[in-house]
Amino acid sequence: SKLSKHLNYHHSGRKAHMKKKQTVAEDPEEVRLATFGFILKEDEAPIKAKRSKPEEEEEEKEEDVVFHPVKLSRSDLYRPPSAEELNQLKEAESLFHCSLLKMQMEELLKEVALSERRKQRIDSFILTVTELLQAVPESPEVEVSDLSWLSGAVKVPFLLVPKATKGKFHMAPPASVDLIGSYPLGTCTKPRIMVDLAVTIPADVLHPKDVVNQRYPRKRALYLAGMAEYLASSSDIGTMRYSCLHGNRLRPVLLLTPPGKDSSSFTVCVHVCPPPGFFKPNRFHPQRNNIRTEWYTGLQSSGEPPTPHYNSSVLGDLLPRAHLQFLSAVSSQCSAFADGVALLKVWLRQRELDQGTGCFSGFLASMLLAYLLTTHRISNTMTAYQLLRNSLNFLASTDLTVNPSLAEFHSAFQVVFVDPSGHLNMCADMTACTYKQLQHEASVSMQFWDNPTVDGFHSLLMTPKPMIRTSDHVFQLCELVKLQSSCKKLNLLSELMDHSGNYVHTALPFILSLLQRGLGQRIHLLTHSLSPAPEWSVESDAPKHKAQPPLSFGLLLRPELAASALERGPPADSPKAAEFRQLWGSRSELRRFQDGAITEAVLWDGESMCQKQLVPKQIITHLLQLHADVPESCVRYVGAMVDDVIKTGSEVPSTGEEESLLVVQSYDDLSRKLWRLEGLPLSITAVQGAHPALRYTQVFPPVPLKLDYSFFDREKTSRSLVPKENKPCPAYITPITVICHMEGSGKWPHDRLAIRHIRAAFNIRLGELLKKHHNYTCRSCPTHLDVWKDGLVFRIQVAYHREPQVLRESVNAEGLLVVRDNEEAQALEMETIHKPLLTSTLHGLQQQHPCFGAVCRLAKRWLGAQLFSDDITEDTADLLVASLFLQPAPFTPPGESLPVMFIATPKDKTLSMWTKRAPSVQMLQRVVMLAAESLKVLEHQLMDGSQIQDVRVVMRPPLDAYDVLIHLYPKQVPLLSQAVDPPAVTFSRGVMTSGVALSGGVMPVIDYNPVSLYLAELQEAFGDLALFFCDPYGGTVIAVLWKPKAFIPVPFKTSQVSARRVEVTGEEANTFPNVEAILEDFRVMGKDMVKSVEARTEKWSF
Amino acid sequence: MAPSKKKHASSQPCIIPGGFTVLPLQFSSDSVAQHSLYVKEHRVRAERSSHRPLDRTLFVLNIPPYCSEDVVKDLFSQFGCVESVELRDHPGTFWESGPRLSKVFKPVAKQGFKVGYIVFQNSSSITAAKSHPHDVPLVVCTEQRPVRTGVQKWIQQYRQSFINPDKLQQIVDSFMTDYDKRKEEDAERQRKEIEQQQEDEEGWVKVTRGPKGTKARPHSEAANKRTLHKEFRKKKRKELMNFYTWQHRNTQKEHIAELRKKFEEDKQRIALLRAQRKFRPY
Repeated sequence: SKLSKHLNYHHSGRKAHMKKKQTVAEDPEEVRLATFGFILKEDEAPIKAKRSKPEEEEEEKEEDVVFHPVKLSRSDLYRPPSAEELNQLKEAESLFHCSLLKMQMEELLKEVALSERRKQRIDSFILTVTELLQAVPESPEVEVSDLSWLSGAVKVPFLLVPKATKGKFHMAPPASVDLIGSYPLGTCTKPRIMVDLAVTIPADVLHPKDVVNQRYPRKRALYLAGMAEYLASSSDIGTMRYSCLHGNRLRPVLLLTPPGKDSSSFTVCVHVCPPPGFFKPNRFHPQRNNIRTEWYTGLQSSGEPPTPHYNSSVLGDLLPRAHLQFLSAVSSQCSAFADGVALLKVWLRQRELDQGTGCFSGFLASMLLAYLLTTHRISNTMTAYQLLRNSLNFLASTDLTVNPSLAEFHSAFQVVFVDPSGHLNMCADMTACTYKQLQHEASVSMQFWDNPTVDGFHSLLMTPKPMIRTSDHVFQLCELVKLQSSCKKLNLLSELMDHSGNYVHTALPFILSLLQRGLGQRIHLLTHSLSPAPEWSVESDAPKHKAQPPLSFGLLLRPELAASALERGPPADSPKAAEFRQLWGSRSELRRFQDGAITEAVLWDGESMCQKQLVPKQIITHLLQLHADVPESCVRYVGAMVDDVIKTGSEVPSTGEEESLLVVQSYDDLSRKLWRLEGLPLSITAVQGAHPALRYTQVFPPVPLKLDYSFFDREKTSRSLVPKENKPCPAYITPITVICHMEGSGKWPHDRLAIRHIRAAFNIRLGELLKKHHNYTCRSCPTHLDVWKDGLVFRIQVAYHREPQVLRESVNAEGLLVVRDNEEAQALEMETIHKPLLTSTLHGLQQQHPCFGAVCRLAKRWLGAQLFSDDITEDTADLLVASLFLQPAPFTPPGESLPVMFIATPKDKTLSMWTKRAPSVQMLQRVVMLAAESLKVLEHQLMDGSQIQDVRVVMRPPLDAYDVLIHLYPKQVPLLSQAVDPPAVTFSRGVMTSGVALSGGVMPVIDYNPVSLYLAELQEAFGDLALFFCDPYGGTVIAVLWKPKAFIPVPFKTSQVSARRVEVTGEEANTFPNVEAILEDFRVMGKDMVKSVEARTEKWSF
Repeated sequence: MAPSKKKHASSQPCIIPGGFTVLPLQFSSDSVAQHSLYVKEHRVRAERSSHRPLDRTLFVLNIPPYCSEDVVKDLFSQFGCVESVELRDHPGTFWESGPRLSKVFKPVAKQGFKVGYIVFQNSSSITAAKSHPHDVPLVVCTEQRPVRTGVQKWIQQYRQSFINPDKLQQIVDSFMTDYDKRKEEDAERQRKEIEQQQEDEEGWVKVTRGPKGTKARPHSEAANKRTLHKEFRKKKRKELMNFYTWQHRNTQKEHIAELRKKFEEDKQRIALLRAQRKFRPY
């Protein structure tokens, strides 16, 4: 019964799939909507509103695709269960968070597994290739260095340095051709299907002494070239290219693809091996030497250094068949082995750890599982899910970089994982940093696997983690040829010989450990990109070592230490001081500290927070220059590059951290003073900030201002400044909202209007007291009190905790007291309860993660620039960023502000409070689309030095989507200087550039921003016909988009005639938007501010 | 509805189905585009308030946001003396609730298109307005009556937003005095009612109808609900849940059914995700 059920399930699944494709074609937007689970409550279209919750969405979708899964009837649900079914249900319940995860994994495995059809095609191609290879003709014996037997069309895939080689070589048909690796084992997965074929060189071509001085590897390369030459004439082969195994130049391979349309569907990789047992494995012990210094350098030397890397690459050729046997034996014992390996491979691939030099390849993944199985750390009966979990657990908890029992291996290699034969270190090329990264990833994965609030499946297996998103800072070494001189400087001659002249891989571990030492406590993790294996055509020579993409390094910073400008060393007289001086060179100085100690120390440059963030850059360039001869010009540092757009300050560039701190300090002072006020009828119970500037997330934090009084008109009676009509709009002064809770008391009236009046009375009284005791200029309004203090304006709002309750109460017709929620009460609660709470919570988050504020500000700057500020409010954006910090899976919380665009994957929230009004589904969709696009552009630019370096591209909105553009006079835009591309012309806005801002004096112009006033008027007048967008940070264009339904004629109704004209046909009167008059109104309502109204009539007509 | 009598021989008023006359309106004399006001006599039978006398009130639709009450009054004075103008966001009945509020305490009015109720002194003005020719536009902003918009208006608004604290205090004080007085009156009335319901010296109680003074019932909805909930809980507590074998069996059965249902639901969800190609890791 289980089988039939499964079949049924599959069948209906496929049906759904086909149906689904149709719907995709019909309505791509609808489907895209379904891709994120954002809770949206109020939507315009009633149909869309249904989609408010993910569950509902799915139900609806199912109706869409006409997919009705077996609806369980009562009898189905309550029929007695079979033992098997009971087991299955119980397992799903106990092993997984829910059976969903198990099924998700099964589906994933189906996606990566090879189809039967493809396997057949592979098998038939393998058969062809084997037959061809077996027919390779014999050739006469020649000296190894004599390449004349090869026609010029095919080159030898080997860098022949030094040139001289002894020995004889001739082509002969292979002793055998066998499948090895993942394909015969059944662990081969999509994408990049690679089928490994081992071709055994006949024993008479080789000599047992060939191990020495690269003779064997060179014969191997010649044999490969000989085969390539033979295969080139065959029409059964599609394309043919050389590559080398994991970037190891001693082990070239031949990549073959089938001819015709299949050519991209899989690749056959031809390896060449010596006959089994031809070389004695003990010759390859890591302490043995197999390359003579005299041969390699031409110099005499006394002792021969060991050549462990060379040894392990030759040994690697000797063992693949044995490994396959071993793995097959293990795999036949454990049914879930292949699936477990496949999952582990997906996990590795998402973290970019499975390819390139020193990678943790699929072979290593299989070996790891086999090791765990044979040592009985995991049992044969486990499922794929458990295998993955246990192997991650093993990786997270086991440090393969130290193992005292393998000391002789560890003296030669950084990471040691010995194969079953006991001779080969399978991780020979892996750097300790890569293994640490692997461990870090594994432990992070384990953490959120156990966290029921995280979608484990997605963060484990579905989300790609490229370096640029994972690391806080990234830097690249561009001209790799410079590493040649590093090898010289670091004195790495014998290591270079061991690596057969590959100076990049020779120098890399030393550079890494140098940086690790220098950065020390500043970083959690130092990672580097794995150089990809080169691929080249059989007709061209093997590429040089420098011909590979730049090496990238990623830093995961410790936010609390990374930006410290001081590196304090040991005391001057301690023995460690010399070591410290050696590391830092001339930068190290003796310094006397406040505690009296005199120590060595290095002081880096940087005054403001944003300069200090780049201290790691200074360290890296300094160390590389000093110890590795890498000039600064070769280091391309990517960190804090986007911060440019929120930079302020003329003398010391700053990204707002210092300004925010100033605001918070001024607020703290005000709050203290409010607490201490005496003479109020009721006491103050709480003073809370409710403004982004008080939680470090205001994009451009308010700056204390000193005003030029002559710039303004005066209002005599209230001693206030007023803007002049003929002058540019004065500088915008943000009122910083502060909520002041008053003690509850019987004296408060129980009536909404009366409470409002009492609050006004409090405003007046507070103003009087602040003026009297502290001489602050105050302005009381019925709703709030503005206080001018230290060049900032604080807007104090008095709150009474029972007021929302009073607003909700009303007496109905029967005299019954009813409590009904209403918008007014909600708005008040938002202002006086939720916003202050949010502010203090996020303020706390800022204390935990110092870069939280900067990320929020960048995110909001981007939203503003893309004209979304109105749809995703400041609070919503802050919350989104906060969710990124609190639930970063699969990432770690940013230590720096780079990955800001992650807003592209908004997380689900149950707090619909903040997103109730906006965004609408359509807008959110656009946000997601633009965010994804921006992220793409940004990552591209940051990782590729050759691109135009202008991160502002992502801040320039595409304006061609809008119907009308209203251009404003820059003169009347008070925040002009905050624009993405700040204008060349600036206007005097009544601000003195010198002098300290003081309290007291005349009240300045507060909260006067004609742009937002104009927007509000437009919104209120034409909100039901069009949408208005504007960048709040210095935007000089208002973009207008007609609503899709605006131009549909509507029958004349008294409630629907605003800004419409009537057309009469017969007895019917229909109304249309009066577009001409509306465009004229845009001009009239924005008199003196609107420069021009650009109607893009090519997109619509009236 | 038939067109009304023609006063202007040169051009006729434009009347659309529904009985509205179209009055063109433009902002200034050099404007290129016009809005249309739709006017009609106010004729809602149900509403007999003295604020909108039926025969003298003109109902105007689509008044642009830059026309304040004063501007509208001035504009329509050409048809006769205007007694009052009332602008609202939506057409609807006239109501004024609560005590009179000072201007500064009123919620901020929306600045959109409005409907207006214009009360003339004479009913003949209505006919005059309705027969206004459709090609002679009303002009909002003229030499004699400049209307401020844009930056000028916002500066003026800013200037007007100041209020002297003493004046504000006065407004608050007078409102609170009023409020206290009303409170006192209410309390007085309630006291009297309670007094009336008490026994007089001969033992008689005066029984009255009406909602007031009914103190015995709970007088808030929340209290009502609480009582009901309490009853419900009491009932629930008396029931025994896992007493009989069949009850126990049922619980187990329910559990399995629950698991099955969840399993099916998950399967559905997976099928859906697969349909969207959600399992491609890269």
